[in-house]
Amino acid sequence: MAKVKKWIKSRTRKPEAEYDEAKKEFEKAIGRPFVSLKIELPTGFEDLRAEFLRLERDAEFHEEVRDLIKKRLMLEKRFRGGKQSP
Amino acid sequence: MDSTSIIFILIFLLTILLSATETVPMSIAALIGALLTGWFGLQYGVFSYDDALSFIDMRLIALIVGTLIVVEVAEKSGLFRFGALYAVKLSGGNPGRLFVSICVISAAVSMFLSDPTAILLVAAATVTVAKVLNYDPMPYILSGAIMINLGGTSTLIGSASNMIIGVKAGLNFTDFIAYLAICEFALWGLTIFALYMLFRGRLGQKRALPSYNPWESIEDRKLFFRSAIILVLLVVLFLVLENLGVGPEAVALGCAILALVLSSSDPAEIFKRLDWETVFFIAGFLFVVGGLGKTGILNDISTQLLRLTGGSPFKATLVTLWSSGVISMVVSNMAVALTFTPIIGVSTLNSPPVWSALVLGTNLGGAATPLSGSVCMMAIGALKRENISISFREFTKIGLATTLLQLGFASFYLIAWFGLGV
Repeated sequence: MAKVKKWIKSRTRKPEAEYDEAKKEFEKAIGRPFVSLKIELPTGFEDLRAEFLRLERDAEFHEEVRDLIKKRLMLEKRFRGGKQSP
Repeated sequence: MDSTSIIFILIFLLTILLSATETVPMSIAALIGALLTGWFGLQYGVFSYDDALSFIDMRLIALIVGTLIVVEVAEKSGLFRFGALYAVKLSGGNPGRLFVSICVISAAVSMFLSDPTAILLVAAATVTVAKVLNYDPMPYILSGAIMINLGGTSTLIGSASNMIIGVKAGLNFTDFIAYLAICEFALWGLTIFALYMLFRGRLGQKRALPSYNPWESIEDRKLFFRSAIILVLLVVLFLVLENLGVGPEAVALGCAILALVLSSSDPAEIFKRLDWETVFFIAGFLFVVGGLGKTGILNDISTQLLRLTGGSPFKATLVTLWSSGVISMVVSNMAVALTFTPIIGVSTLNSPPVWSALVLGTNLGGAATPLSGSVCMMAIGALKRENISISFREFTKIGLATTLLQLGFASFYLIAWFGLGV
C-alpha cells in the first residue's frame, strides 16, 4: 500500500516549472502585481560578495527597498496629479 | 491460439502496463512495444518489412503535429490566457458565476489545447483568483479538470483519441459535429449542474474582484489576432475542404505552415514545446496494434463481439460505449482508441452509432479516478503546490459519480439520436 501511495505521489510531480510560469502571468494580471529585479554586485565591492548575496534573504533590506518603492510611487503620484491639473 | 499470437498479446499487455503505471514515460513504453513487435514479427514471419512500414498511419501523425503547431502558436500569443482572464472578469467575483465561468472556459480551451496544457492554464488562473478572493480553489480546480476531460468530445481535433478515431474510421469534422455536438453541450450543462450541486456549499462568499484589463496581458496584439484568425481558418477549412476531398491532415499541416510564417517566431522554439510524448506514444502504439492485427487476434475479438451482440446495433453501441468508458478509467484513452478502432473497423459493427459510442467512451472515462488521465494528476499536483490535499477516495467519489452520470446520459443520447431499437 505504501508503495502504491508513493507511486501516486510521484505522478503528481508533473511540469511544475510550466505551472509556475502560467501562474506568474495570471498573478501579473489579476493578483497583486510584483516586479523582479536583477542587481549585480557593484564594482569595487568584490570583497563583500557574501554580504551582498545575503541581502536576498535579509528582511530588513527588503523593508528598506519597499520604503524606497513607496517614496518613488509617491513622487509618481504627485507628478501625475500635477500633470493632470490645468 | 498459437505461441506467436501469445507473444504479441504479451507485448501488447506489457506496453499497456508500462504506460498505465508510467514505470517509464508513455512514449518509451510504446516504443519498447514497437521494437519488440518489429523484432518478433519479422523473426517469425508474421509480417514483412513493407507491412511494418504501413503500420504507422502518417495521415494521423500529420494531423496531430499540424494541430499541435497551430495551437502552440495560439498559446504563445496569449489567446487562451486572454479567454481565461475574460471569463473570470465576467463573473465579477460572484462565486456561482465564477464556478460556471471556470467550468465553461475549461471545456472551451480543451477543444483546442491538449488536456495537460489546458489544466496548467486553468489551475494557474483559478489558484490566482481564489487567492485574491480568499476562496477555496479545490472545487474550482477539480471541476475544471472534469470539464477539460469533457471538452472537445464533439470535435475532430478535441483530443488525440478523437483524431485517432476520426482518421481510422474516416469520420470528418462535420461528422463529429453532426453526431456529437448536441450530446457534448448537453453533457456540459448536466456536468456543471451536478458539480455545482456537489460543491455549492464550498464556493465561498461573494467578494469584489479587483479591476483589471485582460488586454494588458497580451504582449503582441498582432500575433494575437493572427493566431485567432488561423484558429478560425483551421475550423473553416476543415468544413469547406472535406467536400473537395482534402483530408484533415492536409488542412492541419497547411494551417501549421501559415501559423509558423505569420507568427515570425523562431520555429525551433515552437517545435521544442510540442507534445512529442503524445506523438511518439501514438506512433509506437500504432505499431504494436498493427503487429497484433497481423496475427488475426483483432479479427477474432471482432467476431466474438459480433456474436456477443448478435449483430444488434443497439447492443454493439452500448457495449462499445461502456467497455471503452470503463477501460479508459484505467488505461490511456489513446491506447483504448488505437485498440478499438481496428476491432470495430473490420466488422459489420462499423457504423456511426458505434463510432460515436467509442468517441464518447474514450473521452468520458478519463476523469473517473486520479489515475484515469494526466489531467486529474496535474489538478491534484496544482492543489498540492498550494498546500491543499485531496484524497484518492475524495477525488474518485466525485470523478466516478460524474463519469457514470455522463456515460448514462450518453447511452440515452445514442439510443435516441440514432434511433436504436432493442
